[in-house]
Amino acid sequence: MATGVKELPLPVLPDSWTAEKDFKAIGTLSDPVQRNIEPVGPHFLAHARRKRHKRTFSEDDR
Amino acid sequence: MSEEESPRVAIGISFGNSYSSIAHTTPEGKAEVIANEEGDRQIPSILSYVEGEEFQGTQAKAQLVRNSKNTVAYFRDFIGQNFKSIDPTPCHQSAHPIEHENTIAFKIKDTEAEEENIVSISEITTRHIKKLVASASDFLGKPVTAAVVTVPTNFSDVQKHALKQAAEAAGVEILQFIAEPVAAVLAYDARSTAEIKDKVIVVADLGGTRSDVAVIASRGGMYSILATAHDYDFSGSHLDTVLVDHFAKEFLKKHKSASDPRLNARSLAKLKLESEAVKKALSLGASANFSVESLSDGLDFTATVNRSRYDLLASKVFAGFTRLVLGAVGKADLDPLDIAEIVLAGGTSHTPKIATALQNAFPESTSVLAPATSVTALNPSELAARGAAIQASLVAEFETEDVEQSTHPVVTVTPHLATAIGVLCLSSNESQARFSLLVDRATPVPVRRTKVFPTPREGGDVLVRLVEAVAEIKITAPAPRTKNRDEQDVDGEEESESEESEEEEEHRELVWRPTKTIAEAAVRGVKKGGRVEVQVNVGAGLECSLLVREVGGKGGVRGEVRGR
Ligand SMILES: Nc1ncnc2c1ncn2[C@@H]1O[C@H](COP(=O)(O)OP(=O)(O)OP(=O)(O)O)[C@@H](O)[C@H]1O
Ligand SMILES: [Mg+2]
Repeated sequence: MATGVKELPLPVLPDSWTAEKDFKAIGTLSDPVQRNIEPVGPHFLAHARRKRHKRTFSEDDR
Repeated sequence: MSEEESPRVAIGISFGNSYSSIAHTTPEGKAEVIANEEGDRQIPSILSYVEGEEFQGTQAKAQLVRNSKNTVAYFRDFIGQNFKSIDPTPCHQSAHPIEHENTIAFKIKDTEAEEENIVSISEITTRHIKKLVASASDFLGKPVTAAVVTVPTNFSDVQKHALKQAAEAAGVEILQFIAEPVAAVLAYDARSTAEIKDKVIVVADLGGTRSDVAVIASRGGMYSILATAHDYDFSGSHLDTVLVDHFAKEFLKKHKSASDPRLNARSLAKLKLESEAVKKALSLGASANFSVESLSDGLDFTATVNRSRYDLLASKVFAGFTRLVLGAVGKADLDPLDIAEIVLAGGTSHTPKIATALQNAFPESTSVLAPATSVTALNPSELAARGAAIQASLVAEFETEDVEQSTHPVVTVTPHLATAIGVLCLSSNESQARFSLLVDRATPVPVRRTKVFPTPREGGDVLVRLVEAVAEIKITAPAPRTKNRDEQDVDGEEESESEESEEEEEHRELVWRPTKTIAEAAVRGVKKGGRVEVQVNVGAGLECSLLVREVGGKGGVRGEVRGR
């Protein structure tokens, strides 16, 4: 879902910044909320298919 | 068995207390509401019996005047309920619901014989569905065998089960029940011009006997209901009553010694039917004519009412709708600024003043999709049936068991992000970071989102910082007025209220506040003018992977953040 909307630029990397393989995991995502997705529409059907067949997005793309 | 071999013919059905609609999808995939033999697309959910002959829809509704005892109306909400839990008020001018063998029934003369029969609510429902499906079969030229049916969000499993059985008795397999507001959103999203965007939508379904509101997070074309509100005190019939009272008073003004038409059942029924017609006409025109023969004491009555008069008379009911919608937004813990769209559904949503009042109660950034406020709005009376028809076309070829599995909580109950995720960018003054959204809160996981960002002027090494952020309302006080402050203070608040209030209003806007850093990654040696693609992939366990790379460059940096 790449969008063509005009975005602000990413910041310059500070000189002091280092990380192994240029990546640092710092925190984890907040606890999720359990909700019901309405079982309606074409996008839900794709979701249900992935969930029932335990497939990922990229497997689904193929 | 051979049953599976003949393909299903499936339609969408919207079955309301006041009106029902049937819809199909054309071979081009467009949803269309079907007109019945009488040419009606909104078919009154009413059955009436005259000397054993059954009438449905508009013909049955006309029987409310002379044959109200054998006319069954406003019964959808009674399905699957027990007598003690229903409100029979809408049935005051038609056959009254009675308690019968743990269920609800009507005592009507539905055959040529003299005596009355007790007809259960499920039998009435079966007969109504039979008629609807016959109209659809007639139109399509082949027998309809299955349907997707819309129901309110507060319809219980017991009610759904009872409705399913009643449909089965009519020879129709209900493939799936879908929520009315979700059907309305699907009707909009299925248009060829629609673009699927993440947004929060409020559906206000304003019907005849009830009004229902749902706040829905739409994320990548998937819908999660965040809050609902239901109201039975502000609805289309209350608008009818406003006009009934108005015309009754006008009538009595003109005929001082005549008896009040509201006190005679037959007069009241005429008054109601004509008031509803006047109300509908006022949605289109600036004025409408009321005309009833022999309204009371044998006196005919005609009158005219214009829209501004009506808007004034009905202002309390209109205000009730706005309050209901704002209340639902509050229940979802959201602010009007969070709402991208208000979809107005249900027949009452044709009323111009209701749409403009909502537009005024919400910021400009909220679009109100109703005939009065949007040229691209769909017919609010058709949204539910159209959505149901689209869903029917999606699931018609599935095995019954597959539909059941896919709609099971094991599949539908899903973790949703509690907090939005995005990256920090440079704002124009370069000293402040600005949050740019990748995945909004209330998005179900797993989810994958990609966005492309520009880089600083000279390119080089850039930082991608993935963060969580919350949206907050920033309130800016109105700019102080320069002239004569002292004088103004003396006069106090009264002046500021009576003067141009626009200028005095505080400015409210949504701003993002980053709350937590999740990960950082570097993209090195970006060429001048280069752009960087950022992709996040959040798994079902909230584990998250980040992939950043220069667009057109090779490699890139990938990293994983553990889940919860
Ligand atoms: N053009 C119109 N202008 C104003 N009101 C209208 C218009 N068309 C229909 N209505 C009103 O809409 C109401 C019916 O709404 P709808 O068709 O959504 O029914 P419903 O879902 O069966 O209602 P409920 O279940 O709440 O009784 C009626 O009060 C009707 O008079
Ligand atoms: Mg309705």
